[in-house]
Amino acid sequence: MHNDSLMHGENKIKNAKGTFKQFLSSIKRYRFSIIVSIILAIASAITGLFTPKILGDMTTLAFETYPNIDFVTIGQQAIVVIVLFLISAVLNYAQAFILGIVSAKYTRDMREMIIDKISKLPISYFDRHKFGDTLSRMTNDIDVLTTSMSQEIADISLSITTLVGVMVIMLLISVPLSLISFIIVPLSVVVVGKIAKFAQKYFREHQTTLGVLNSKIEEDYSGQVVIKSNSYEQAALDDFEETNIKLAKASLKSQFYSSLSFPVTHIFTNLSYVAVCIVGGILVIERSISIGDIQAFVQYVSRFNRPITEIASSTSTIQSLLAASERIFEFLDEPEEEPDPVPSHEIAKVKGEVEFHDINFSYLKDTPVIKGFSVKVEPGMKVAIVGPTGAGKTTMINLLMRFYDPDSGYITIDGVPTREMKRSDVRGLFGMVLQDTWLFSGTVEENLRYGRQDATLEEIKQAAKASNVHHVIESLPKGYKTMISEDSDNISAGEKQLITIARAMVANPPMMILDEATSNVDTRTEQLIQDSFEKLTNGRTSFVIAHRLSTIRNSDLILVMKDGNIVEHGSHDELLKQNGFYAELYNSQFADN
Amino acid sequence: MFRLFRYLKPYWWQVLVLVAATGFQVYMTLRLPALMAEIINDGIVKEDVGMIWMVGGKMILFAIISAIGALVSSYFSSYVGAKFSQDLRADVFKKIIFYNMTEMKSFSTASLITRTTNDVTQVRQTVTMILSMMLRAPLFCVISFVMAVQTAPDMSWIIAIGVVSILATIILIMSLVIPKFRLFQKLVDKTTLLTRENLTGLRVIRAFNNQKVEKKKFMRTNEELTRLLIYVDRILELQNPFINIIFNGTTLLCAWIGISLLTKDFAYLGNMVAFAQYVGHVMMSFLMLSILFVMIPRANVSAERINEVLKTSSKIHWKKETNGTPDKVPSIEFKNVDFNYPDAEEKVISGVSFVAKAGETTAFVGSTGSGKSTLINLVPRFYETTAGDILVNGISIKEYAQNDLIGRIGYVPQRGILFSGTIKSNIKFGAPRATDAEIKHAAEVAQADGFISRLPEKYNAHISQGGTNVSGGQKQRLSIARAICKKPEIYIFDDSFSALDMKTDAKLREALKPETVGAVVLIVAQRVSTIKDADQIVVLDGGKVVGKGNHFELLNTCSVYQDIVKSQLSDKEFKDEMTLAKTKRKEVKNA
Repeated sequence: MHNDSLMHGENKIKNAKGTFKQFLSSIKRYRFSIIVSIILAIASAITGLFTPKILGDMTTLAFETYPNIDFVTIGQQAIVVIVLFLISAVLNYAQAFILGIVSAKYTRDMREMIIDKISKLPISYFDRHKFGDTLSRMTNDIDVLTTSMSQEIADISLSITTLVGVMVIMLLISVPLSLISFIIVPLSVVVVGKIAKFAQKYFREHQTTLGVLNSKIEEDYSGQVVIKSNSYEQAALDDFEETNIKLAKASLKSQFYSSLSFPVTHIFTNLSYVAVCIVGGILVIERSISIGDIQAFVQYVSRFNRPITEIASSTSTIQSLLAASERIFEFLDEPEEEPDPVPSHEIAKVKGEVEFHDINFSYLKDTPVIKGFSVKVEPGMKVAIVGPTGAGKTTMINLLMRFYDPDSGYITIDGVPTREMKRSDVRGLFGMVLQDTWLFSGTVEENLRYGRQDATLEEIKQAAKASNVHHVIESLPKGYKTMISEDSDNISAGEKQLITIARAMVANPPMMILDEATSNVDTRTEQLIQDSFEKLTNGRTSFVIAHRLSTIRNSDLILVMKDGNIVEHGSHDELLKQNGFYAELYNSQFADN
Repeated sequence: MFRLFRYLKPYWWQVLVLVAATGFQVYMTLRLPALMAEIINDGIVKEDVGMIWMVGGKMILFAIISAIGALVSSYFSSYVGAKFSQDLRADVFKKIIFYNMTEMKSFSTASLITRTTNDVTQVRQTVTMILSMMLRAPLFCVISFVMAVQTAPDMSWIIAIGVVSILATIILIMSLVIPKFRLFQKLVDKTTLLTRENLTGLRVIRAFNNQKVEKKKFMRTNEELTRLLIYVDRILELQNPFINIIFNGTTLLCAWIGISLLTKDFAYLGNMVAFAQYVGHVMMSFLMLSILFVMIPRANVSAERINEVLKTSSKIHWKKETNGTPDKVPSIEFKNVDFNYPDAEEKVISGVSFVAKAGETTAFVGSTGSGKSTLINLVPRFYETTAGDILVNGISIKEYAQNDLIGRIGYVPQRGILFSGTIKSNIKFGAPRATDAEIKHAAEVAQADGFISRLPEKYNAHISQGGTNVSGGQKQRLSIARAICKKPEIYIFDDSFSALDMKTDAKLREALKPETVGAVVLIVAQRVSTIKDADQIVVLDGGKVVGKGNHFELLNTCSVYQDIVKSQLSDKEFKDEMTLAKTKRKEVKNA
């Protein structure tokens, strides 16, 4: 459905040659195995070639020596046939065996490279690209590699060898008979190709209509509440039916035209079969070939047929293989985060003095988000970042944590520019609790230990107690060993936030970055969260994206953001006196009640 | 799966033609080897060129007829397939669009979408496969078998050997591999999950410098998956060599036996050649059938999911005409209302009673899970009460015709939901006959006119699917405008204001006041500032009413309400509010 339509849109390769080269170099470490298996495939194809010819010879011999049939010679030939097809089968298996391992290992390497890349790309990449985009490279594209790689390499070498071998043998048996097949069979391939191209048009129409219908379905189902509350059901149904009928029409056409290839190949194969029978029969009577040769020839014609259609279908598989590889390589070639400076500064004992020096920053060129911002935060200060939704409050987190670097200006911690430190060292100085309570699927304990891998269970429990979540965890069916998963209902949103607070406590960093939750938290939990926030920020330099007036008023410094800019900063009282945006914001919310 | 075959019924004669054409095509194709035997026996051996031409001409004729049969069957299988999926998809959609929230919730929206799209496509593909391949394979099998036996009865036992060894190979390999598929899927799902976590947790992972930990976790699954892939591949790859051996072996056997029978009857010369081809067809059709047996279970899963939808109907039955005359003055009354989800023991709402009058605003507060949202969703019958009754304008909602009840209600959901179209088409969604002036007015009240008039195309501006080209706050304002445009007697706001910043929230409520004169307004909200001016506030906790009254009354009497207010104000402000509340109480007492 949706994926199909995407696949078709994306099946185009931008740079086939380049991608192919890249593919070859990426598979280099397996070149020895691949070459061996290609040789095995060729050997298997060659040993398999002679069976029909020898069987035909057996018939001829029987025919010619009749009625005193030479069973000894025929028996010897039969044994040769058995030996040959057994060898061919063994070689074939050996070839597939090796390629299977290669393709499994190759896709494993690719998966590893993608996951590595994810951790090395700058955050900005993911802010610009949808997760689904990256995810589909890991799932869909890798899937294409897994299924098509091992087959294609072997199939192509097998097909080509068989094709050439069969042609040689056919020519050796009879030139006129061969010519008949050499004309008819490729003709059928050409005609089928033409039909496929013709059908493609209808196929695309079908995919587009399907896409339209699917998005209607998606829209109507997700908007069910609105449809119900406006009695829109019948109208939605009529609208759906209209597209559905269109789809059925497009579907009939695309199905029929693409299935046309079947009767066409069908008549061509049958005709070449008939032609071989007639012409072959006459040739036997003229004594230019023997009777067993027709029998052999009929089989060779069908063997000649198969590799041609296989090669034809291979090209489309190879196309999708290359398209998938291209998408993967494209991702792997994305520029990575700037490397950390060498040598880098380290801060041994952090006081927690943070200073912004004339920061200029923009996500997109020419749309500055922060202009010439400077402020000094003393050790232990509480800084509140406030502003309406969408004012870019997370920008501050991005800069502090070095998820992004400023265009100009710099941030210092205890006088050391963060740019001269390793990213991991900067990040290690901050504990971070976000509104988006990200927990991974694993036990509660594992999630808490995420703050510091070497934390003991005792330390973890201490942190949980301090974050008011110990009792909640204890009351879960398996306590600290309870599994948390995406769809688990056993933990509420508020409790999840408490766990992320505890996780930050386990890490015990010298400074904190917090994002207060706006909604979806019940009253009691809300109080618990506020209480633990209090404990977390106590004595630490902390930055809080604040929604609650109590937090804002208790802050030492307030940064007021609007449309991505820091428009004002100061303490609550100072800002009220300025009577600017903050005062307006404050009054509209609380004062005129 | 087979239950869905009833959708083929309206097309019975097309299916019949399809079967006949396929049979014809197969039969004509299979006559060819017999004719070839004839060429060998009567033409070549007897050196009769005229005979060869005559039989050859017959063969050409048969080949052409067979191709026509194939053409006809291609057309009809495409036709039946297209119609089948059209009807099936329409039925599924029709079922779902009339579902209520209870059914929507029990399936989940995402699952319903895949059922209508992916699953239908999957089933349709299988049906088309069955109509072409599954029909052809048994026909091929049976006709080839009969013809083989006819051409060389003494050799028929070779067929048995061929078929048995093919089946044994397939069964052996599948029984080794299929049990691993579930594990395989699990591991694939796990790599997806881990990758997703790496993406969604991007910032957290880097904040804690845990990139290496994540990689280790991923590589464990990655290695496991690789090992399994290699194992499965080793077994699956056995299939080709084995089948080659079987095919070659039977062909050799045919030749050997045929030759040794020559002394008995010289016609075996041609017959054994034809026979070998028939045996090949029989074995080939078994191979084809085995592919289908791998496909059908997969389609079966989809078919089952579709059947689940088709079996489920909305439990809510509406009256055709409203039974009784509703009051002219709107009102809502809850009488001891209970609600619990089917199959759930715990009541979400229990024993709720209140009256909401015209011209008044009734607000509902409470923590998450207190049931406030569910409660107001009972009014438009999105869910059905399990006990008690709800009266709208003096009449039970169960006595209303659907259009009558829904027509009285302007409902604004929690999330701003928009449909692709224009801004205008979205605002007049519930009031198709609204004039441009009315639309503009509704937008003005909803504080949406400002941003709309800044758009180049104003009210005709395009809204993309899911409203992704407008912000969350704008979406919410447009969905409020949609309700206002309906000019309803009853407004229901299901936490509709929380996506707005506080300033817009306040302005909007101010502008809404003149609109809602004489109407009943129900509001669910999180922010105290949104509801504190309400005429009546209903405080819910665990699905029960724990307080009813206005802001100051509740501050004096209801501890749950006090907690809520406290959590949203600073200590000083809370104290001020409490003092104010106490003086108000004294005033009331004194009066």
